[in-house]
Amino acid sequence: MPALSEHRTRALLRDAGLDVVEAIMVPADEDMPSSPPFLPAWLKAQVPGLTSRKAKGLVRRAGNAIEYREACRRMLSDPHWASSEGMLIAREVGLRQELYAACTLDLGSESSQPGGLLLFGEAGGSGVEARAGGLHRIAFSLLDPPGPEALAASAPQGLLDEALSGFLAGMVGVFLRHRLLVLEVNPLGIAETGLPLAVDCRAEYERSAIPDESAAMFEGSAPGSASRTPLEEIVAAINQQDPSGTGFFRQTRDEVPPGAWKIATNICGGGGKMLWEMATGGRPDIANLNESDTSGGLSAFKSYRILRVIMALPEAQLLVLTGSGMAFQSQYSIAVAVWKALRETPTPLPCLLRFGGTDEGRAMGLFERVSDSLPARVRVYRPEVFPNAMLDDIPAIALEDGSPEARRREVRMPSYPLAFEVEQPPGRFTRDPSICASCATRACLDSCPTSFLAWSGSGPAPAGGDARCVGCLLCEAACLLDGAGGMRIELGLPGEV
Amino acid sequence: MGGILSHLAGIEEPEVLVLGITGKQGSSSSRLMREFGTRVVAGCTPGKGGRDVDGVPVFDSPEQAVRAFPGINSAVLFVPSRAVLEATRGLIELGIRFVVLTADGVPTHDAIRVRVLSMRSGTRVMGPNTVGMLDTEGYLFGMIGGRGRWARENYTPGCVGVISRSGGLSQLLGAFHCRRNLPGPGPDGRLQPLWGDDSPGVSAVLCTGGDPVPGTTMLEAARAFQADPRTRVIAAYGETGTSQENDLAEAMLRGEIDKPVVIFLGGRFTRPGVAQSHAGAMIRSESETYEAKRAALEKAGARVVDRPDAVFSATASILGLSRGPAEA
Repeated sequence: MPALSEHRTRALLRDAGLDVVEAIMVPADEDMPSSPPFLPAWLKAQVPGLTSRKAKGLVRRAGNAIEYREACRRMLSDPHWASSEGMLIAREVGLRQELYAACTLDLGSESSQPGGLLLFGEAGGSGVEARAGGLHRIAFSLLDPPGPEALAASAPQGLLDEALSGFLAGMVGVFLRHRLLVLEVNPLGIAETGLPLAVDCRAEYERSAIPDESAAMFEGSAPGSASRTPLEEIVAAINQQDPSGTGFFRQTRDEVPPGAWKIATNICGGGGKMLWEMATGGRPDIANLNESDTSGGLSAFKSYRILRVIMALPEAQLLVLTGSGMAFQSQYSIAVAVWKALRETPTPLPCLLRFGGTDEGRAMGLFERVSDSLPARVRVYRPEVFPNAMLDDIPAIALEDGSPEARRREVRMPSYPLAFEVEQPPGRFTRDPSICASCATRACLDSCPTSFLAWSGSGPAPAGGDARCVGCLLCEAACLLDGAGGMRIELGLPGEV
Repeated sequence: MGGILSHLAGIEEPEVLVLGITGKQGSSSSRLMREFGTRVVAGCTPGKGGRDVDGVPVFDSPEQAVRAFPGINSAVLFVPSRAVLEATRGLIELGIRFVVLTADGVPTHDAIRVRVLSMRSGTRVMGPNTVGMLDTEGYLFGMIGGRGRWARENYTPGCVGVISRSGGLSQLLGAFHCRRNLPGPGPDGRLQPLWGDDSPGVSAVLCTGGDPVPGTTMLEAARAFQADPRTRVIAAYGETGTSQENDLAEAMLRGEIDKPVVIFLGGRFTRPGVAQSHAGAMIRSESETYEAKRAALEKAGARVVDRPDAVFSATASILGLSRGPAEA
């Protein structure tokens, strides 16, 4: 889950009126102050999601100016610093006691209703996980959250005084307001004045849960764009251009075991992922170069663009595309996107394609029809054939088609005049009017599921009215298969592949 | 009519309201639902009252729809994930007995609130993040099958009750049990028919959804199939994360569920703390691991398999339809 660094979590607490230790934040792109703002001070690198920072040398104490400069030098040269949002310099404060407090969710079970859970420990600081058994657990309702009095009454008698129960109720409020998954304050200090304050803190959250009014407080938090690969950057841009459906793509960071088959994957839906994981997990001879999911009603324009990125994965030996085997998403539309990607990519991959669900027969039929013209071998599977069986075909098909370098080619696609453009999903419809004029079938019109196209003098054009282009690519496929072949939809990519 | 909804929500004749009916997903799914036989009586989209979608009248609010059609007892929501909680709360207040939440990405805080509201009120909620449910008595909520004709042809009445935490796999487990001469792996690994024309068919398909806090759990779905006289065997897809399979196993051990259960359990290679497939599959404790769930289910007498095709050979063997291929 995405994590919120300490300085951002402090901002949430402060915003709710809860006391936090005095500190200043130096963003990563600014120079550190030449002299410390406080002494003694704690320097803390703000790396979202990184735990045990102290043990990793990313939290250091500076008792004087020399120690401050040394701490800066060592922390700024640490490899983790590259993903840090900056440095928090916090004043060291004298504490009467160090406690632990966290809010989390209890997902419930047959015997317990789901809700919130406040964890409270009478000893805070490092190693609190090891003492988890000693934590007090106070369940609370998300619908009727507890105030300070209710919290004090839920805890063992005398455990929470007025100030402490007030602070904890404030934490519950922050947890609920921002719909966090975890809010941890550790240590929760008791100052010499007897009042509680957050010395260190962190949070975990769900992207979908952030309320609009607090989005700015979460903006730019992990995972940072700095950690994206160039291909992941392209997919991020594709998703921005066309937000339809799911367009997930992530390259594997693990090292490929020697001798393993290097597989580019397009595995759709949660069920599809689980089938693939069950078939390939624990097999050292199979290396997945990426994760990707193109499901949930995305346009075929977007499927095509992401497939182009997947086909560009360095060293990939073949592409596997499968889902659960019974999708309600049109399998023909996906097949058409794969066909177009194979026609237009300079790095075609042999493909193992498993189609299952709506239009599965049509999807399989497409590749029977076009197999002779493909730049790489394609093997198509019925949904009754599960990924376990597909794996058996990998050596044959990968070896038949030779190395990725041998398959690389220069692609020259026909360049026709622009007929019209569609903004969402974005695509440029080009056609050769003389070829269209010779078309006897006008198959593009019949194929359009939304009646977006009409014949206009020299070829297909928007019919007008409410009909929208949904980016299914069926018109281009119909033109090439059953028409005169004068249409090409140009789907530019926001990056070089 | 009756069917599984009479056991899930006490509904004999579903009359359905579709929230978000004028959107792309809402309009295509209500068409599918109606083609399958579901009585979709009204739709609702704020600001679009007075229109119709394929003849189904659209209202600005559920209150207006229920006023015009007092028989409405169930609803399907095609609304953005952030609108799910308040929309569900409003439907519960209107006395709707069955609510299907298709949205993906509903905040877990909201899903918990929905679950608690549902438990307090007795309204049965299915989802979030579900493709819905289908009953071969002739009604369908959500997106199962994609198109009405395809769904009617591929989901035929029979004796298998399907429960799944995955949308795709709920559709697959359902449709394949209805497919004549379904091929499955034989002892030599080659595909051969698991049964002939006598496919077992399905009573109903219930997709409990892929999220960590489902409105209806696998056990609650199993209880409905236990009470359903058509259902002779339960075929399920479970995975790591949540306590759903563990709770089902305990209910089997105490005899509350005594119909045979075949379950394809996913997640053998899922690492703790990683959301590999569905959000709900993340392992948060030892009891949520593949090994712990497999042990609990096997102890309770469930037939646990590692591949989906092995589900079909197992149900065939339980029902006496098997033509010989061994379970994988």
